[in-house]
Amino acid sequence: MHSPFPSRFFRPVSQILAFASLILLSGCDLNFWKMQGHQTTMIANGPVAASQLSLFWVTVWVTLVIFIIVGAVLAYATIKFKARSDADEHAEPPPQGHGNPMVEIALIAASVFALVIISIPTLKGIWYTHDVPEAQKADAYNITATGYQWWFKFDYPEKIDGGAGLVTGNELVIPVGRPIRIQLRTVDVIHSFWVPKLAGKVDMIPNRGNFLWLQADAPGYFWGQCAEYCGDSHAVMRFRVVALAPMEFAAWVAAQKAPARNVAAAAGAAPGPRPQLATFKQNEYGYSEKWADGSPINPLQNWVDQQKPAATEDAALIAEGKALFGTKLCLACHTIRGHGAPGIAGPDLTHVGSRTTVAGGLLENTPAQLARWIAHPELVKPGNKMYASGYVPMNIKVADAEAVALAAYLTSLK
Amino acid sequence: MDATIKSSFTDKGSAVSNRPALLWRPTAKTGLMSWLTTVDHKRIGFLYGIFALFFFIVGGIEALFIRLQLAVPNNDVLTAEQYNTMFTMHGTTMIFLAVMPLSAAFFNYIMPLQIGARDVAFPRLNAFSLWTFLVGAIIINLGWFMKDGAPDAGWVGYAPLTSKTFNADHSIDMWVMGLQLLGVASIAASLNFIVTIINLRAPGMTMMRLPVFVWMTLVTAFLIILSFPAITIALVEVMMDRLFSTNFFEVSHGGMPILWQHLFWVFGHPEVYILILPAMGIISEILPCFSRKPLYGYPIVVFSGASIGFLGFAVWSHHMFTTGMGTVATAAFAMATMCIAVPTGVKIFNWIGTLWGGHLKMRTPMMFALGFIWMFMIGGFSGVMHAAAPADAQQQDSYFVIAHFHYVLIGGSMFALLAGIHYWFPLMFGRVVDEFWGKVSFWVIFAGFNITFFPLHFVGLNGMPRRTFTYDSNLGWNAPNQIATVGAFILAAGIGIYFTLMIYSYFKGQKVGRDHWDGRTLEWSIPNPPPEYNFKVIPQVHARDAFWYEKHNQAEIAAEKASLAKAEAEHGGIHMPFQSIWPLFCSVGLLVGAIGVSVMDHDPRPGFWGTKIAVTIIGGVILFFSAYMWALEGNEGYHLHADEDDDKGHGGKAHH
Amino acid sequence: MSSHAGTIDHHHDPSTSTGIPNKKLLMWAFLASDCMFFGTLIATHLIYRLHPPAGNPSPKEIFAPALTSFSTFVLLMSSLMMALAVNGIQKGNLKSTRWSLIMTIICGSIFLGCQVYEFTEFVEVKKMTLSNSILGSTFFTLTGTHGTHVAIGVLWLVLMYVRSFKPAANTGTSAWFVKGLAHVAVFATVIVSSILALAHGAEHMAVGGETIGGALGHEIVPIVIAITGLAILGWFARDRGPVDFGQANAVDVESMGLYWHFVDIVWIVIFTAVYLLEFL
Ligand code: HEA
Ligand code: HEA
Ligand code: HEC
Ligand code: CUA
Ligand SMILES: [Cu+2]
Repeated sequence: MHSPFPSRFFRPVSQILAFASLILLSGCDLNFWKMQGHQTTMIANGPVAASQLSLFWVTVWVTLVIFIIVGAVLAYATIKFKARSDADEHAEPPPQGHGNPMVEIALIAASVFALVIISIPTLKGIWYTHDVPEAQKADAYNITATGYQWWFKFDYPEKIDGGAGLVTGNELVIPVGRPIRIQLRTVDVIHSFWVPKLAGKVDMIPNRGNFLWLQADAPGYFWGQCAEYCGDSHAVMRFRVVALAPMEFAAWVAAQKAPARNVAAAAGAAPGPRPQLATFKQNEYGYSEKWADGSPINPLQNWVDQQKPAATEDAALIAEGKALFGTKLCLACHTIRGHGAPGIAGPDLTHVGSRTTVAGGLLENTPAQLARWIAHPELVKPGNKMYASGYVPMNIKVADAEAVALAAYLTSLK
Repeated sequence: MDATIKSSFTDKGSAVSNRPALLWRPTAKTGLMSWLTTVDHKRIGFLYGIFALFFFIVGGIEALFIRLQLAVPNNDVLTAEQYNTMFTMHGTTMIFLAVMPLSAAFFNYIMPLQIGARDVAFPRLNAFSLWTFLVGAIIINLGWFMKDGAPDAGWVGYAPLTSKTFNADHSIDMWVMGLQLLGVASIAASLNFIVTIINLRAPGMTMMRLPVFVWMTLVTAFLIILSFPAITIALVEVMMDRLFSTNFFEVSHGGMPILWQHLFWVFGHPEVYILILPAMGIISEILPCFSRKPLYGYPIVVFSGASIGFLGFAVWSHHMFTTGMGTVATAAFAMATMCIAVPTGVKIFNWIGTLWGGHLKMRTPMMFALGFIWMFMIGGFSGVMHAAAPADAQQQDSYFVIAHFHYVLIGGSMFALLAGIHYWFPLMFGRVVDEFWGKVSFWVIFAGFNITFFPLHFVGLNGMPRRTFTYDSNLGWNAPNQIATVGAFILAAGIGIYFTLMIYSYFKGQKVGRDHWDGRTLEWSIPNPPPEYNFKVIPQVHARDAFWYEKHNQAEIAAEKASLAKAEAEHGGIHMPFQSIWPLFCSVGLLVGAIGVSVMDHDPRPGFWGTKIAVTIIGGVILFFSAYMWALEGNEGYHLHADEDDDKGHGGKAHH
Repeated sequence: MSSHAGTIDHHHDPSTSTGIPNKKLLMWAFLASDCMFFGTLIATHLIYRLHPPAGNPSPKEIFAPALTSFSTFVLLMSSLMMALAVNGIQKGNLKSTRWSLIMTIICGSIFLGCQVYEFTEFVEVKKMTLSNSILGSTFFTLTGTHGTHVAIGVLWLVLMYVRSFKPAANTGTSAWFVKGLAHVAVFATVIVSSILALAHGAEHMAVGGETIGGALGHEIVPIVIAITGLAILGWFARDRGPVDFGQANAVDVESMGLYWHFVDIVWIVIFTAVYLLEFL
């Protein structure tokens, strides 16, 4: 049976489809094909990512050329040899040819040739991206990154007073222009360390000593994310990398080595008006890119600003928070050097106030977002290891007002 | 069948009535009992198809939930846990419960017809495979109805996320046990197909005259029997870890989770070719038929199919480029992976060669077949991009991979399977699917598919990781995700049209006679729907496109058929195997045992009195007893005499 | 095509395209698949062997090569017996077939007995369990899987042996079914109780330092059961007219033989890769 109306029907259908997609598209940001997001792989800010990106373009061009050639032939054959009428279809069958070995061999040779074009840069790239080049080995800066469900810990080579090493979490600060060699470890399941603008990912696998190297060409603020499915909150296991010029980096290291900051409250002073805890929906967006006046935030500048204490600190509220940190047993899991908090199950919070994000790169580190996290971690990160039906060790509950005080305290830890 | 040697075939009526009650053999030809005890490869194939399509819809609905959640940033249609369950079950369902069994449906239904056989070599084993597949599917999906929930460790189930420490409830046990049973079913079915293809070919049907679909069935069957053991053992190891606290993946005792990945992908990569080779076989049948030309370069297409299967075992680690394998291993696997592009390209080129100079009849199956070539090419090219290992470090576990494999899986496997259903519909049911609505379904599916998955390339390169239940709005991922979601619903609409059309055509489609498409292979030489014995006379094969040859040498063939028919009649008529209930009961035993192992809680009572152990043992006993009865009843059968007009009785009025 | 019982060529089945009987081909394909099962298990074992975690017991101190060599030898002999059984049935010599089957079953059971003994010793004396070390996990899983194969093989042999008594024609199949089951049950009881008696007896000797007599003294119950069972078996095996088992079943015995030989060959590989390798 023949359809009597191909074109009569299909033209309107395709028009409707085209129109529908237009309407659909008009609602969206159509620049997505430029791929300029924070986490894009199409912008390389370091040599490793650059090598990977250039290889990607080789594969794109080679396959695109093949696609155009093969597609053209296919389209031509389809149109040219289409049976156009009923008579055509019932005509004598065409010659029953079986193939031509020379054509086959030529095409195989052409395919092999195309693959050779791809494989040469592939092989080069494999060796280059694997480890820091020999010549730069001596200069490499070694950091250990450890994956936890669902956050990252970073161990620096610097020793504090010759003793324990410097530890931070969720924001990795690195010096610019130096190869960084990162040891990848995990304490539970498999995670994967991925900062697209600096380098492709390498997995953190239990019982396996992986590493990767990367390098930032210029100071900057980079988005990263865990790329291997690791359970409930895999989607929100994120982190940031901040690349600083050598001098700034040295200053940052010095500041981080110091014990936690103390904000002295006048004896007997009562906290001022306590900020209200805002209400948040589940999965609500926790990151702002614009200042209150609508001007865009420069994230690196924002990070620099974050290193300094805020002008308006409520010392009494901070003191209250500090006390709560002990009574609510936060210190069982978190380290705050100098404040007697020794825990190691959660991120080191000694200088948590100097980071721009909390909860593993998920929320912006403002008092409001911090209080949101402390008040209802289960709504922010499903299944997180800090909170089940209460704070884990003794099922402790934190009231909204207490969360605000704790947030003020943690914010003060620059 | 070996039974023919013993000549235990007797006349139907007497044989059945004389048997002792214990060895009762079911004879129902209609009704529920006839389906539960069937050993007819066509009925089994049909059931495979129905179950597979059901699970395709289930998997599709899961996909729609995924797309709904991702339609806008920070969405909360699903919780994290529900989302994780959703993609795990979506992947598992689509691969193991939709595409594989749908391919198996064609293996069962079409392959014996194409080689001129009356059934597969072991009809009861075939029934056992079917029911065991169903049992596995039930076990995997049981979690939906339990408080533990369905599995949520991803379709690749990477250790140690599947360990008791990180996933204490029974959902993983059910995933493991279900996959084990599916493995049993697939291996049993494949052994059967291998023997059938090698041993039951009609006289004259040499290996190099086999239709390409049969060749691809053979290669796929070998891939299955050689690759499934790897995952079976890996699953055994997980199961041992969970039930008996062994240390295969227990890190604290030196277990290495990376081992799971190797074992999984040693299976997993051949698996993706298990999904695509049958599809390629179908395409290699459809294109020649609607071009009215033989397949271009038959030997090289066959050979390339075999080499794809062979190479498929040497590339598994391309799924592990980011696991720190070291330079040499990475380089070796990258190169090996690229090599696969060559035999695959050969197929594409030969398909185009088939079109070249033909009289292309643009029927719906042909549209799907052409769509397949285009879509598969795109998916293949993104595969080659993955194969460039350093570039893959940026793509692995991102939506770029999702785009790659949906192009090869939907644009490839699914398109071909949908084409196949449409193509063989007149043969199976004696009715034809309406062309106009067929084309509508094709175009809506085609458009919906591309709208869904093309943008995902971009969102992947823009850094969106897969298996994430939510994303933030500032990453440039909003638009492509939104488009993809709309596309998914267009795709669903297309599939809805397709299914509605099939159901409608089954009841109301226009009746047609045999050989509706002017086919080239033997399945078209029989009446439709095919009689239970398939061929009144086993054909003598003279050429590659056997039926085409018959049609063009009618006089010679008619004489030959007559003499063959006479010989067969003298021999006693057509051998038909008895039906049997025991394959079904064996599978029931497996079901009960699997429930014992994976669903029941441990309880402290010792030995048999613990429910877990009791249920498992009961399952084992049912299995053993049924297998014993199966062996005891033997593979006997009866003789059947096809009367002259039986031929016309089935076929409706003749065509052409 | 059929009923030329006298002239059947056992290696050629005219009803198939290749002449190879379907069952045999099925078995070959299955064994190819089984190769991969064992390949994966052996690979797992070898990989963990190369990466022993701290605290893993040393295999050298655990394995007892003398005993395992003995059981390996017995298993090899069973292959010989199996070959004789196939040969017997091909010639239509039912008596020889039955005896060879019995011998194969005995050899297989001795092998299993050695394994039971070995496992008990490892767990109770050498303190290596499934869960307390990775060596235990890989070793018990691998050899246990092989043992399961042997056990299935023994069961199959038993069924084949019992089947060889199936009376000719369709007379009283129900009765035969009951008798057959009873036959199988007695056989299984004999095998299980003698395996237990032997393994435990050996344990008493090796661990408790007892004499043969003393050791077997502890196992008097299973020994009595086994002997009674043997007597019943003997009674079952007495001649009772024509049977429905003969040359035509050669392919059944042959397929089973393929399986059995394969399981033996796999054991040679395991013996080399798991045991001998440690003593190189
Ligand atoms: C039907 C299933 C199917 C098929 C056929 C393929 C085909 C291919 N796949 Fe794909 N793949 C999957 C299903 C499939 N894949 C799935 C499901 C996953 C993800 C699993 C998961 O993680 O969940 C995956 C993931 C995957 C990865 C891992 C990505 C990652 O996680 O980082 C890689 C890496 O190399 C890869 C490569 C390839 C290649 C090179 C081919 C080749 O076979 C393609 C060859 C075809 C062509 C190249 C096109 C036609 C050829 C020509 C016209 C000739 C000329 C061309 C050239 C010379 C380039 N695939
Ligand atoms: C053959 C395999 C196959 C098929 C066909 C599909 C089909 C689809 N897939 Fe799937 N997908 C996988 C295999 C497959 N997928 C795998 C292996 C994964 C990885 C899982 C993992 O990470 O572990 C995955 C993951 C995956 C993801 C990523 C999830 C994540 O990483 O977070 C997404 C997201 O968009 C997606 C979408 C879709 C969509 C929209 C379809 C659509 O094509 C579905 C279309 C079908 C329907 C919509 C059917 C519904 C029809 C009706 C409703 C009709 C009406 C009803 C009646 C007539 C009764 N898939
Ligand atoms: C059971 C251990 C545990 C206790 C008790 C605990 N935490 Fe945590 N904390 C964690 C873990 C684990 C994380 C990381 C969670 C994640 O990102 O998935 C975390 C993360 C945090 C973070 C975010 C750190 C960052 O850099 O992203 C803050 C802030 C925090 N906790 C504050 C608190 C406060 C305040 C308390 C007491 C009321 C507390 N924690 C009690 C384990 C704990
Ligand atoms: Cu950690 Cu995903
Ligand atoms: Cu692959």
